Amino acid sequence: MVKHDKALNVVGRGLHVKDAVEKVTGTIRYGVDYEVQNMVHGKIVRCPHAHAKIVKIDTSKAEEVPGYIGILTHHDVPQNDWEAAWFNYRGKVLDGIGRFVGDDMAAVAATTPEAAAKAAELVEIEYELLPAVFDMEEARKADAPQIRYEGNERDPYGVAWGDLDAGKAAADVTVDCDIFYESQQYAPLGRNACVAEWMGDRVNVITSSQTPSELRDGIHEALGIPLSKIRVQALPSGSSFGQWWSNNFMIITVLLAKQVGKSAKIELDNEECMSTVKRRHQERTRGSMGCTKDGELTFFDFDHLIDNGGYGFKDDVGFFCVDMWGKNGHGDYSIHGINTNMVTAGCMRGVGDCTLGASVERCADQLAEKVGIDPVDFRIKNQIVSGDELRMQHSRHNLKGQVDEYINNVPEHLRKDWPELFKLSAGGTRALLEKGSEKFNWKDRWKGWAVPTQSEGALRRGIGVGTGAHVCGVEFEGASNSMVRMNPDGSAKVHCAVGRQGAGAETTQAMVVAEELGLTLDQVAIETGDTDSCPWNHGSLASSTMYRTGWASREAARDVKNQLLAIAAREFFDGVDPSELDVDNGEVVHGDPGKHNQRIPFTDVLNELRSDSLGQTSSITGSPRVPMPPSTTFARQFGAQFCEVEVDIETGQIKLIDFLCVQDSGTVVNPQVLKNQIIGAAICGSGFAIYEHMIFDEETGALKNGNLLDYKLLRCADFPHDAEVLFVEDPDPVGPFGARGAGESPIAAGIAAVAQAVYNATGVWVDMPMTPERVVSALKAASAN
Amino acid sequence: MTVLKVNGRKVEISDRGDRTLADALRTDLGLIGARVSCSEGECGSCTILVDGLPQTSCLMLAQQAEGKNITTIEGLADGENLHPIQQAFIEEQGFQCGFCTPGFILSAKAFLEENPNPTADEVSIGMSGNICRCGAYPYIVKAVLRAAELMNAPAQAAE
Repeated sequence: MVKHDKALNVVGRGLHVKDAVEKVTGTIRYGVDYEVQNMVHGKIVRCPHAHAKIVKIDTSKAEEVPGYIGILTHHDVPQNDWEAAWFNYRGKVLDGIGRFVGDDMAAVAATTPEAAAKAAELVEIEYELLPAVFDMEEARKADAPQIRYEGNERDPYGVAWGDLDAGKAAADVTVDCDIFYESQQYAPLGRNACVAEWMGDRVNVITSSQTPSELRDGIHEALGIPLSKIRVQALPSGSSFGQWWSNNFMIITVLLAKQVGKSAKIELDNEECMSTVKRRHQERTRGSMGCTKDGELTFFDFDHLIDNGGYGFKDDVGFFCVDMWGKNGHGDYSIHGINTNMVTAGCMRGVGDCTLGASVERCADQLAEKVGIDPVDFRIKNQIVSGDELRMQHSRHNLKGQVDEYINNVPEHLRKDWPELFKLSAGGTRALLEKGSEKFNWKDRWKGWAVPTQSEGALRRGIGVGTGAHVCGVEFEGASNSMVRMNPDGSAKVHCAVGRQGAGAETTQAMVVAEELGLTLDQVAIETGDTDSCPWNHGSLASSTMYRTGWASREAARDVKNQLLAIAAREFFDGVDPSELDVDNGEVVHGDPGKHNQRIPFTDVLNELRSDSLGQTSSITGSPRVPMPPSTTFARQFGAQFCEVEVDIETGQIKLIDFLCVQDSGTVVNPQVLKNQIIGAAICGSGFAIYEHMIFDEETGALKNGNLLDYKLLRCADFPHDAEVLFVEDPDPVGPFGARGAGESPIAAGIAAVAQAVYNATGVWVDMPMTPERVVSALKAASAN
Repeated sequence: MTVLKVNGRKVEISDRGDRTLADALRTDLGLIGARVSCSEGECGSCTILVDGLPQTSCLMLAQQAEGKNITTIEGLADGENLHPIQQAFIEEQGFQCGFCTPGFILSAKAFLEENPNPTADEVSIGMSGNICRCGAYPYIVKAVLRAAELMNAPAQAAE
């Protein structure tokens, strides 16, 4: 358990991020900026059809292009399935079948990018067309065209508790919903590229990735070569939010380099980034919810579909709304993952929280209106606080491990300090809602359900509140590890493969280590991308970086500290028990300076180690020495957001007027970094709520707005520049210095807040994205009724 | 060869009528701070200054820049001393992933030259030609306001 027995020196300070100077001077190198000598350039040949099988490939015209070197086709590729993290991709690298317009079919190599592009255009492929399906409901039918050998639909994933019939009988009011969500695109700023260089039978892979270890696993699975022969060097990425994990184009690059016997680079252009890699799922929620006339929820009953596109293989999305609204005693949720002939869908920030979570928020709001309760009060009444039971107890199938198995494998004595499992260990929305409504002046501003706060001409203003929750990483896919090494000069370096995509892990992980070791941030360096030096790590996903990797980094630092103190006790403190010693400002000190007042610099201790004939090392290496408790069973992060919108009921245009984000991520390790991340989530959520959606061709499933001209993102003036972030810091019993996860609950909270504010301004619920056209037609439909 | 003037120095790039200025800066001159993302002038991450005015270098041919003064992000700092706008972007953390940052900083430089004492609303509109997908906008606005402060009172800021 965390003991805050001394003041924190590094954790909690808004220190500048480590790569700030590189970023403002333009010297930081992303995947696109990396080159190796004598490399060739690759270009992927893409499928022009929704579903088709290669009959014949003719390269005669491509070979005429000056600079053409060679081609990689499915005939050259081991026919092994590989999997990306969290089932975001499952399939072969190339198998001669195109499953969506833009799918990877082959890759050509040439001496320049231009020659590669030209040659790729001239590769002539004869296809046998296969029947295609784009609609999730159609794809579920028994006679639907089958997109994968495993079938189109995954086994349903569900959570059920209590007695649904009893819950329904107890309800005084119920609401039903049937809501469809369009796909949001990651719309990355910054493209990605991959460079692969083979050295004999070993390969070095350089790309921007949030999941270096998972990428190495994927290459291992696809090629069937030992993990020890694969080195991934993950560089920072541009905006990612789940896009740049392990992607098929990276493994194509590896195979293309091998095929042509030269180092190779494939750089995706903007359209490829948007239309061929990944997206947020299309989703559909059907269900009902009920409560008593006093506003106590009595049941949830939801059936939720997610569209995996061609290669996604997910059977679940975030269930964390289930937990958050968990005061309710009876419920049943099931999720169905279904493949379609559209670009692969996977985890984008707040997967499920932004969709299923928004459906639950809308139903809750409709119930609250029916029973005449304010939305803040309705949430406080029905959402959990620490100590409450978590509903997500159902054993998960189809994963690499199960939580019960994990727990039972840990010896009992190592479990004695664990928090109570299946109960929320810390936090909750109540404190956020109370603090936020006070700051937002909610009580005065709230005029009632569907009552605008202001009305002038065609302009209606309304306020809204929304909540969101997410796990803080998951243990099912493997234990995220971190390693810390203290050098002979007393400086330390942390090695944790979490990548760098702008969320500040290169700084905050180092802050955790600096705090534990009594060093300054400047004395702790970090490597986040090199799988040759970093132990296996799940990566920056599922809001796990600060929680699960931060825990590992702190434990690794603790291990270094223990070793350091043991040497110091023996050599400098007359053999006292090392637990009486501590670290402070680069020196070892006695916990009671009255007993022993000398201060021994780390360098002196390490110098002893160097000359110690008993050891064979000059540095100290630390790793976690105990297993982490299974955090899905107790740790959650929460966000509550408040906003005001202005809707023009003639044009349907929505303006965001005011925004307040309140966040409980436990102890805040770096407030500057976290505020920025929370606001970013509110902005991405607002984009999802009012603008962003991918438009697919009805005949071919091809993406029609795969560029930043046609896919609209919020710009600076579209979001209130005075938006604020407040924190409630309920320290976590397990997370490093009490910290929890952060990245995903705030996007869900923002979406729900904007949706409710638009309802309160206009009196109509509009499906997202609430584009001007949709707002106007919803208003028209409402007035026609 | 085409001769360009980049960050105060004359440089030569190979003649090819169809190449963009962004490509020439990145490939021939190694000035990778000219980030290319959308390639259609929408996102602004490749923004550079041409005779002091912001231009999207992905939409400009290299040959169009002949004889003009080009400033890239690499030309902003004075040796080790960062430009006040760069300093302000660090202080306020006006970025997350950093991909859009050089474009925002150069847009801010041109903006502040035209409007050295802007309001937050003016900054917000002035910075809307660039996209930050991470959503650091409120911190970008704070950074530009802070930069204006630093630039208007350099002596005071140095204390």
